Amino acid sequence: MSFARKARYMAAALPLLALGCGAPAGQVDRADDTLATAQPADHSHHGDHAHGNGAEHPGTGHPDLPVDAPSDFSIYHAVSVWTDQHGDRRPLDSLAGRIQVVGMVYTNCAYACPRMILDMKRIEAELGGAQDVGFVIVSIDPERDTPERLAEYARGARLDAERWTLLHGDDGDILELAALLGVQYRRMANGEFVHSNLLTVLDPSGQVAHRQMGLGAHPGRTLEVIRSLAG
Amino acid sequence: MRRLVALLLVLPLPLAAQAGGQGSPPSGGSAAMAVVPAGAYTPLYSPEAGQVRVASFRMDRFPVTRGQFAAFVEANPSWRRSAVPPVFAEGRYLADWQDDTRPGGEPAAPVTEVSWFAARAYCGWRGGRLPTVDEWEYAARADETRLDASADPAYKARILALSTRRPSTPPPVGSIFRSQHGIHDMHGLVWEWVQDFNTVTVTTDSRTGDSRDTQLYCAAGAEGATDREDYAAFLRYAFRSSLKGRSTSSALGFRCAADL
Repeated sequence: MSFARKARYMAAALPLLALGCGAPAGQVDRADDTLATAQPADHSHHGDHAHGNGAEHPGTGHPDLPVDAPSDFSIYHAVSVWTDQHGDRRPLDSLAGRIQVVGMVYTNCAYACPRMILDMKRIEAELGGAQDVGFVIVSIDPERDTPERLAEYARGARLDAERWTLLHGDDGDILELAALLGVQYRRMANGEFVHSNLLTVLDPSGQVAHRQMGLGAHPGRTLEVIRSLAG
Repeated sequence: MRRLVALLLVLPLPLAAQAGGQGSPPSGGSAAMAVVPAGAYTPLYSPEAGQVRVASFRMDRFPVTRGQFAAFVEANPSWRRSAVPPVFAEGRYLADWQDDTRPGGEPAAPVTEVSWFAARAYCGWRGGRLPTVDEWEYAARADETRLDASADPAYKARILALSTRRPSTPPPVGSIFRSQHGIHDMHGLVWEWVQDFNTVTVTTDSRTGDSRDTQLYCAAGAEGATDREDYAAFLRYAFRSSLKGRSTSSALGFRCAADL
């Protein structure tokens, strides 16, 4: 389908979606679909993975890739540098080598963001320390979420510093990471943000292994994927 | 009008001349970027009601050409199609090029089949950035003689016709019209990437009380389309919302912007 035709089709659909409640969910779902075709999202593949940064996944059966492509979907190709809650400089790829559960939130959020972090803590609790899994909170509000503020938040929320990394970065790097993860967000005039409630499981090489959407979702599938990766 | 044209200051980016060396736009000696004066506009879709302020900024007069992008990949081997990691660009990235560094075809035609990551890297290399969706939409309201023609039904019809009847192979940049801003080809040549293509443009409508309302976004608060007659804008918003950062399309190019 040509893009003009696709756009016409979508233009017809979009006003309708805007009136209903499906539009943001639809957008996130579409992003997820694409990742699903681009990624070895089926966890049955994960046991075959060579882990570590730059590892290649099997690369076959992904229709949008030539067979001989260096099928590397690691987000650690991005070269951004962040500051964590301890004030340490953290290149993005310093997260490599460990399964990571990533959420992009802001700590002043009145409603959903604490709940997203609760969902992350629930995953942590369900795993019970059996797997070596990191939890990463990336702030989409670098102005207010300074590293000091993130440290304060981590203390208040009793986040174990061995597992939890809270990252402060610049606007461009946040935008890039959001594009890599399929997170949508927007700062509003009142200083609040709208954003996708999306948790991403990264395998140790930085490929998206699973995405958990919505708040308070049962993390069963997320746990399965993590256990399979850690397997 | 003449005075407005005179206000369009000429502030080229430091590397613009270098980037434009080969296959530069048919703009004669005119500088690469135009200045768009500050103002306010009403987005077609926004999570918030009302007008959005747009600060003054600079914007490329033309979409980036194949020749200009060739200079970029020449200087930045990691963005050649054989080298780019698939996480940054899908398989069709620069698919219509002769080889890794030679675009072939018309060098003054807009580059297409580029991902958001690649477009962003190009603009950064030139010392600029991609325009925001607000900047792009704000600048795109101008026709040849008016900075804001968007309320005129004839303008809307013209933009819609340009947007839906574009040729399958884009002609050289400068082929459509030059707006009052001194910016060419905003409509009818190629779709264009914006910096925040993945911004939230639509939130759920609280009137329906659907619980997904609060499931996906931190803050709710709905705002439908502000101008239901502006079909060309529907097309642009719909197209953007269909994109992922690694998407490419033969009808999708970009231009750069910069702060003043």
